[in-house]
Amino acid sequence: MIEYEAVIGLETHIQLNTQTKIFCSCKADSWNDAPNTNICPVCCGLPGVLPVLNKAAVEKGVLLATAMHSEIRPLSFFDRKNYFYPDLPKGYQISQFDMSLAKGGYLDLPVPASASPDGKAYVRRVTISKLHLEEDAGKTKNAGGQRYVDFNRCGVPLVEMVTGPDLRTADEAAQYLTRLRQLLRWLGISEADMERGNLRCDANVSIRRKGETILNPKTEIKNVNSIENVREAIEHEIERQIREVEAGNRIFAWTLEWDEDAGVLRKMRSKETEADYRYFREPDLLPIRMDDTWKTAILAGFPELPLERRARFVSAYGLPEYDAEILTSERRLSDYFETAVKTYGGDPKRVSNWLMNDILRMLNDRGLTADQLKLGPAWLAELLKLIDAGTINISTGKSLLQKVEESGLSPAALVEKEGLAKVSDDAAIRAVAQEVLAENPREVEAFKGGKDTLMGWFVGQVMRKMRGKADPNIARQVLEELLK
Amino acid sequence: MELCDLSAHELALYLRQRRISAVEILESCLKRIESVDGRPGTLDSSPLTAEDEQKVHAFITLTPERARAQAEAVDRKIAAGEDPGPLAGVPFTVKDIFCVEGTPSTAASRILANFRAPYTATPVARMEAAGAIMLGKVNLDEFTYGSSNESSAFQPSPRNPWKLDRVPGGSSGGSTASVAAGEAPLSLGTDTAGSIRQPAAFCGVVGMKPTYGRVSRYGLIAFASSLDCPGPVARNVTDAALMMNAIAGADPHDSTAANVPVPDYLAALEQGVKGLRIGLSPDYFRITYPNLQNGTFETQPLPAEIETAVRRAADLLAAMGAEIVEGVPMPNTRFGIPAYFVISRVEAASNLHRFDGVKYGYRTPQPTNDLREMYRRSRGEGFGPQPKLRILMGMYVSAAQYSEQYYNRALRVRTLIRQDFDRAFDPSGPYRLNALLTPTTPTTAFKMAALYGDSVLMQYADQLTVPANHAGVPGVSLPGGLDSEGLPIGIQLLGPDYSEDVLLRIGRAYEEATETDPWRRVRPQALA
Amino acid sequence: MSDAITPEVFHHLVELAALALDPQEAEYVRKQLNNQLKAIHELEAIPLDGSVAATSHGVPYTAQTSPALREDKWQPYRDPQGILAQAPDTSDSYIVVPDIPHTTLE
Repeated sequence: MIEYEAVIGLETHIQLNTQTKIFCSCKADSWNDAPNTNICPVCCGLPGVLPVLNKAAVEKGVLLATAMHSEIRPLSFFDRKNYFYPDLPKGYQISQFDMSLAKGGYLDLPVPASASPDGKAYVRRVTISKLHLEEDAGKTKNAGGQRYVDFNRCGVPLVEMVTGPDLRTADEAAQYLTRLRQLLRWLGISEADMERGNLRCDANVSIRRKGETILNPKTEIKNVNSIENVREAIEHEIERQIREVEAGNRIFAWTLEWDEDAGVLRKMRSKETEADYRYFREPDLLPIRMDDTWKTAILAGFPELPLERRARFVSAYGLPEYDAEILTSERRLSDYFETAVKTYGGDPKRVSNWLMNDILRMLNDRGLTADQLKLGPAWLAELLKLIDAGTINISTGKSLLQKVEESGLSPAALVEKEGLAKVSDDAAIRAVAQEVLAENPREVEAFKGGKDTLMGWFVGQVMRKMRGKADPNIARQVLEELLK
Repeated sequence: MELCDLSAHELALYLRQRRISAVEILESCLKRIESVDGRPGTLDSSPLTAEDEQKVHAFITLTPERARAQAEAVDRKIAAGEDPGPLAGVPFTVKDIFCVEGTPSTAASRILANFRAPYTATPVARMEAAGAIMLGKVNLDEFTYGSSNESSAFQPSPRNPWKLDRVPGGSSGGSTASVAAGEAPLSLGTDTAGSIRQPAAFCGVVGMKPTYGRVSRYGLIAFASSLDCPGPVARNVTDAALMMNAIAGADPHDSTAANVPVPDYLAALEQGVKGLRIGLSPDYFRITYPNLQNGTFETQPLPAEIETAVRRAADLLAAMGAEIVEGVPMPNTRFGIPAYFVISRVEAASNLHRFDGVKYGYRTPQPTNDLREMYRRSRGEGFGPQPKLRILMGMYVSAAQYSEQYYNRALRVRTLIRQDFDRAFDPSGPYRLNALLTPTTPTTAFKMAALYGDSVLMQYADQLTVPANHAGVPGVSLPGGLDSEGLPIGIQLLGPDYSEDVLLRIGRAYEEATETDPWRRVRPQALA
Repeated sequence: MSDAITPEVFHHLVELAALALDPQEAEYVRKQLNNQLKAIHELEAIPLDGSVAATSHGVPYTAQTSPALREDKWQPYRDPQGILAQAPDTSDSYIVVPDIPHTTLE
């Protein structure tokens, strides 16, 4: 049985979330706009117009390149990529060819056991072969033998990032995209939503016998608009290539399209003109001078990256992988957790539990991000400390979460205001316990007759009368004493 | 003398002094145009008549109503005691390669014949902000591709006012012809290989190519983006300086417009040339032509009359205190045209990609279901032969397999050409020049149809001007006399980056020294 | 010296450039291109060692003379309709062009 391995490279186009386009001052985001309303002479390629580079696009590019461990070039250049297409008004795309913003780079991709062929987690180093800035083209749709062109998206800033042929399974590809999406949102440089086209991915797939190092002809899969679809499409293609090779056929360098409804790959019309884009230096732009002063300013406040933080949460806080993964899935939640832990000073796992369950549920229910909660991390810490000190019990604590969020008052203030403090006063509990027993003679008799389980009911009744504030342990002791 | 024959600075002065009104100035220019220009260039025009051959035909689109409204506004401002601007009331023509909002902005091509620009080019906007009055759009070689203005899709193409059977030069032929014929005192042209200086020489006017990046290119329909320079055309140096004041300077719409302060070009204009070092180069007293039969280069001396004019200028400047430095080598001058053939074509082919019939300009009326067919027909029908030549050469020499051999090589030759100028102007070098004095063109104005059709010979008309475009340095052509046929001779000054003020100063000194020369009193044939 | 740009090469260039020329024009242009190439050929004789770098702009730009980059501030263009009005064929604010005929897909 011949064993094959897949050789996969991913080419991603990332729409940066700047305010404006890369070479003009139209909006970068026009998802909801009517066609050809978010346009100007520059992005429509009118005669006589000139591009003017958006500083923020460069800065976001630098953040991404740094996160990918790429080397930022001190001088980088734009080039023209010339071809004809109706969504490309100038007839060329301003891109970067040989002296792009950044060079090299890698991502150490953790592949979890669930996505691993042999059930063991591992790390795949994915190298970056290209990382450059370029402008987006417009959109076209076809209907009735004609093409309808909308220039709203022309000139939106993109980073094109291409991996080396380093991925080996469809699952790895999905993992890479998941991590990339997380990273882009973490850095605040892109919404990275594949369904909205602000993260696009083409996959290059080839196969070879396991252990070989040659690169066989590859096919390119385009137009896949979700991570799951990428995974499925690649899986299908690997299977198809293996089938072809086993049948003695060649693999041709086709361009394929994934039809998600039918779950099949289709051959796309091959590029009709040759791929000679006749790149040359863009004479209308000067090179980007990334001097140390500027770079330092951009990287001031460069955050700890999600995978690094995940590792640190495991090692420094002793959290299980599962917790660390959830607590570093999104940056604001992660920052919330860390602040809460530092303020609390106690067991981080405790904080983690409350976060992963109650806080996360609250965020989902209310459609908020962690930084938007009135119940901030310091107050969560305060709440936990109140429970630890015995001032309130756990169930009071849980109900306090909602109360704090709605009122905007601190837990301590609410406890005071609503008199929520646990009652540990023996006499008060004793009085209520006597009340309960007096009101329920049948149950008293049943208990004395051997129905021990009724103790829980009696405690519950005391708690109810005391509006949950009684210390249940003391209530139980008192009842036991009274029922002797 | 008519108002329209006065200089811009005189008109501006008299206007401020309320001796004349802007409307009167405008009327004078419109009357001159009516008298000498004949029919404007149009598409698919009827064959030339005998009368056509006696007219200048500088215009494509005259905009008298718009001009009148502007002139009236200037007069109102003056009446109200407001400052109308340094160029207030001064009419100017605009080479139809610039977008001006609301006007047909055609690039003298069928492919843009129906294009009405929705915005205005920065240099034009600055002129109008200074109070100048735009008379309309003047003719040019199609997309500025040419040295005779004959390749325009809008015929009749302009004729040289000095001798109406001669070309005005190109590509800014309409600009220089309109100024030489007294239709306007100023014109805004562009210079990519000499397209202001060469026609200025042919038409006996002043034409300046500023330093690359000195004047914004925003709104200039691009030919070669790394070479194109908007610049002034005028009948005297002071007017050119006045216009430079209005148009020079950085622009947030142009990333290549340098962040270099703009001096007052009038300030030092009369300071003279004492102590300035002005060089002469043997490489500019030779002209080279390729012999296409045996593939060699032939060198000929400059026509004697042109050489004489340059040497006389050197003598006059020396008499005024300049130091003339002979024998300055500029050895890479002869490679200017070959390098230009490559660099400009690569950029032009790319710049013309956008004319595809999709979103503006000409689209083929032939119905088709095939996008590629629509592209081919629209471009095939819309472009004249000159754009096609440039596009195809550009595609050829930029193809991946040739780019090292042609394009990258040409860019490196460009470095050598620049180094010639660096060495000549280096303040601690062997020559330490403030300027280089050269002829502008290898010949005076040739006859209409004499060169058209031979694209190589036509391009070589620019061999003395194109090196400055490669190097980016500024240059100005000044009227330097008339040849034995009565045709203007141009002399050229080239200087270090951003030295326009010095070049103008030298030009002013030369102008003063030749003020009483008999040739300055001769009128062009069109005005006789 | 035979023509570097043969009719075949010429035809290919015309395809690439999305142009159309009638046979007369084509022959004239092809001849001119070959003549121009002879002039361009001059460049090959020039000795160029590694120290001669390519220049994309003759005038050198320094950090000081280069204009600053653009601030990321939205400035809506005043008249998008005016741009759309230039298009030869529009429908519902889309610009309309013929489609690219598709070959049969497998």
